[in-house]
Amino acid sequence: MTDRDQAGAHDNRTSAAPTDAGDGAPVVVAMKGIRRSFGDLLALDGVDFDLRRGEIHALLGENGAGKSTLMNVLYGLVSPDHGTIEVDGTPVEIDGPHAAIAHGIGMVHQHFKLVPRLTVAENIVLGDGGERWTRLPDLAEVSRRIEELSDRYGLEVPGDSYVWQLSVGQQQRAEILRALYHDARILILDEPTATLTPNEVEALLERLKGMAAAGSSIIIITHHLDEVMSSADRITVLRSGKYIATLKAAETSQSDLARLMVGRDLQEAALLEVQSGAAAGAGQHAQAGPPVLDVQNLTAYADPVGGPRRASSDDERVALEDITLQVSSGEIVAIAGVQGNGQAELEEVLLGLREVASGRIVLDGKDLAGATTSHVLDSGLGYIPSDRYRYGLISDLAISENLVIDRVDRAPYGSRFSRNFAAIRDNAISLIKSFSIAANSPKTPAATLSGGNAQKVILARSLRSDLSLLVAAQPTRGLDIGAIEFVWERLRRERDDGLGILLISTDLNEIMALAERCYVLYRGRLTESPMDRDSIGLAMGGANLTASGEVPV
Amino acid sequence: MTKIDTTADATEPETTEFVEESTSLVRQFGLTALAIFMALFCGALLLWAAGANPFVAYADMVKGVFTSPAAISLVMGDVVPLLTIGLGLMIAFRAKIWNIGAEGQFLLGALFGGAFAIYSPIEAPIFIIPMTLLVGTAAGAAWGWIVGFLRAHWGVNEVITSLLLVYVAGFIVVYAIRQPMRDPEYFLPQSAALPDTARLGDIPWLDVHAGLLIALALVPLTAYLVNRTSFGIRSLMLGYNPDGTRAAGVNTSKLTVRIMLISGGLAGLAGIMQVMGAETRITNNISPGFGFTAIIVALLGRLRPIGVFLAAVLIGVLNVGGDALQRSQGLPRAVVVVIQALFVIFLLIAERTGSR
Repeated sequence: MTDRDQAGAHDNRTSAAPTDAGDGAPVVVAMKGIRRSFGDLLALDGVDFDLRRGEIHALLGENGAGKSTLMNVLYGLVSPDHGTIEVDGTPVEIDGPHAAIAHGIGMVHQHFKLVPRLTVAENIVLGDGGERWTRLPDLAEVSRRIEELSDRYGLEVPGDSYVWQLSVGQQQRAEILRALYHDARILILDEPTATLTPNEVEALLERLKGMAAAGSSIIIITHHLDEVMSSADRITVLRSGKYIATLKAAETSQSDLARLMVGRDLQEAALLEVQSGAAAGAGQHAQAGPPVLDVQNLTAYADPVGGPRRASSDDERVALEDITLQVSSGEIVAIAGVQGNGQAELEEVLLGLREVASGRIVLDGKDLAGATTSHVLDSGLGYIPSDRYRYGLISDLAISENLVIDRVDRAPYGSRFSRNFAAIRDNAISLIKSFSIAANSPKTPAATLSGGNAQKVILARSLRSDLSLLVAAQPTRGLDIGAIEFVWERLRRERDDGLGILLISTDLNEIMALAERCYVLYRGRLTESPMDRDSIGLAMGGANLTASGEVPV
Repeated sequence: MTKIDTTADATEPETTEFVEESTSLVRQFGLTALAIFMALFCGALLLWAAGANPFVAYADMVKGVFTSPAAISLVMGDVVPLLTIGLGLMIAFRAKIWNIGAEGQFLLGALFGGAFAIYSPIEAPIFIIPMTLLVGTAAGAAWGWIVGFLRAHWGVNEVITSLLLVYVAGFIVVYAIRQPMRDPEYFLPQSAALPDTARLGDIPWLDVHAGLLIALALVPLTAYLVNRTSFGIRSLMLGYNPDGTRAAGVNTSKLTVRIMLISGGLAGLAGIMQVMGAETRITNNISPGFGFTAIIVALLGRLRPIGVFLAAVLIGVLNVGGDALQRSQGLPRAVVVVIQALFVIFLLIAERTGSR
């Protein structure tokens, strides 16, 4: 069926496709007024997007801006509530990846969809042929075509190797080859550089440029500004599900893009209010107390690709490289950065959940590198995890239990061989009241709580009296404005009472509202940044902070 | 993509609520009654097809279990190992550690405990009875420890290791009673008998060995352990959310090993009690699969101590009643086994439906 459509596609390309007056290259994909909601959440709010033949078009935006959803609509993985899609000027309905492939659209997902135990060639023909009883294609023939394609596009992949033998870069090339093998002339790459080393990134971008020059049209979903500037022809910026702008790369700058991405002018009234209060507060509390956390030259590895325990040492990726930072009591220090640049690993390392490769973590004078989690908690570290359902709660247990899970054998909640249910209940009743957690009873399972109330449970548990440092990772992600205000207010109060807070956040508004100082985490490296939106935004995208004198090594 | 992710995050692991007392006890009771009725009904069809009068057959079954004291002691004889192993499995299953190798832990408990009793130079009951029980328990615990250690430190799936170790244990027993421990006076391979001083005597008025008292005492003991100690709550946390448990400062590796020590230890205790109370020597068939049946006991008992007790009694009744049915109606063994299985299946369906 691909052959037939391929023929049709060729006809379309030669016939009069709608062209853009400015550039001359025909528009191959036009998405108009795409709207899609998930429950209460409006993921895409009337987004327009168009792709020209032979261009690399970057789709830029923060986490949750709607980039991936938009591309999943184009690839048929998500059906839009409203809106139309045209391919080569003809309105089409894409009701699944099969339809997308038939229209010459291929997608390379962020997490590769390859079967490790099959060869590259087998993976490429896997799922071929909708009919159930067709014979497998001749693999020798497939390998030959793969070789031909890889020669043409410079995508070296050994077709007969098993996928588990390949590096991440090779696996990605295999994914691209799979799309090309199925005659994709429109290629969508979702965060293609997220798991690559810098050298691999460079090589990939070169190859993509070559493919574009040869007539393919490429969409890259990303939030790395430097990659966008060095590879894309045009850039479309999305923010909070809305279309913001489409710009030519040659006519814009990283700082313009950062501004568009973050949206300085699009503040909710409530947030603005909270924010201006914060600015005043920040001034008052600029005088920080003695240092509570001192991290020196910390390095840690990420989980190897292909499962935590399987891969050999050359698969080890550095997640955090030579990180140095300090937090003093009575200050909020932010770690800004786009998700996936080492934030998760930083949380885990600080909490003793991930091994420290080298470096020191000193909390209140005690070196905690290599300490167990329970030792870390005992030393006065409180923790609000970014993934609250994974690290923060035992959802199936009652709220009252969740409020003491880190202290079940401590007085007054129990000892090794006993539990004091009265103390546990009293603790829950008082915390539910003081943190205004909306819950029917302390016995209700935590799973029934809304996101905001679940977060309040974690906050209430973490903010013990003997705390010297609070690590708050994404403390307001996914919360509504009321809950955000509550959390922010609470964090400020704790800071005013002398707590040191390390705020790991991808949300610039939050950082501006809370922090006195800011570091930016980019690809596992940390640099200090001045507290202004443009500098932070630029650094989050990996731009050199030459203006401020802070140059990442 | 993030937005899809958030919705995906919202679908947390399924809520199997077996700890908090269900608010719909009445509904659960009705479902259980319905399940028993369905099992009886399907069993009746089967009996009828096999040429028996279902009403007469069921009456025989009830008579066989409840009218003779001998039958009651037979039931209790099954309850001792099923309950003891089932309570150990309950402790593991609450942490979602799927120890399905209790049979092997049982066998090694029987073998090592038995060997200790046979070869111990001191035969005073005050020494040999507790020591034999202890050695049997320790052997089962050691077999469980292997499973726990492998899972805790290298993430090896406990379903596979515990099951495979059943076969290893079985071959160790076969070797022991054929070679070093064989009693040359008998044609069949079996060990010498345990000294009389190492046997568990019968409870007065009941034709059941004293192991029943130990098994019954374990019900409140394990109930305390799972409901009222930090070990109990942490096991439950581990089962629900291992990452969250780690982040709460729990050493989950140590906990996993401990859970398997207890789970294996109780299976080993059941094994040595079976030898000391019922078999008196180690043979090739000390266990008709108690270790596997106890899995059903633990699950049917909804991983609660009292529930495990009731389930052990139910399975014991079905075993003995089935035997009576087989004798009185001359039915093939297969029909009896299928009827037993029907009870288990319908009760499990009722349990799952009730916990939704």
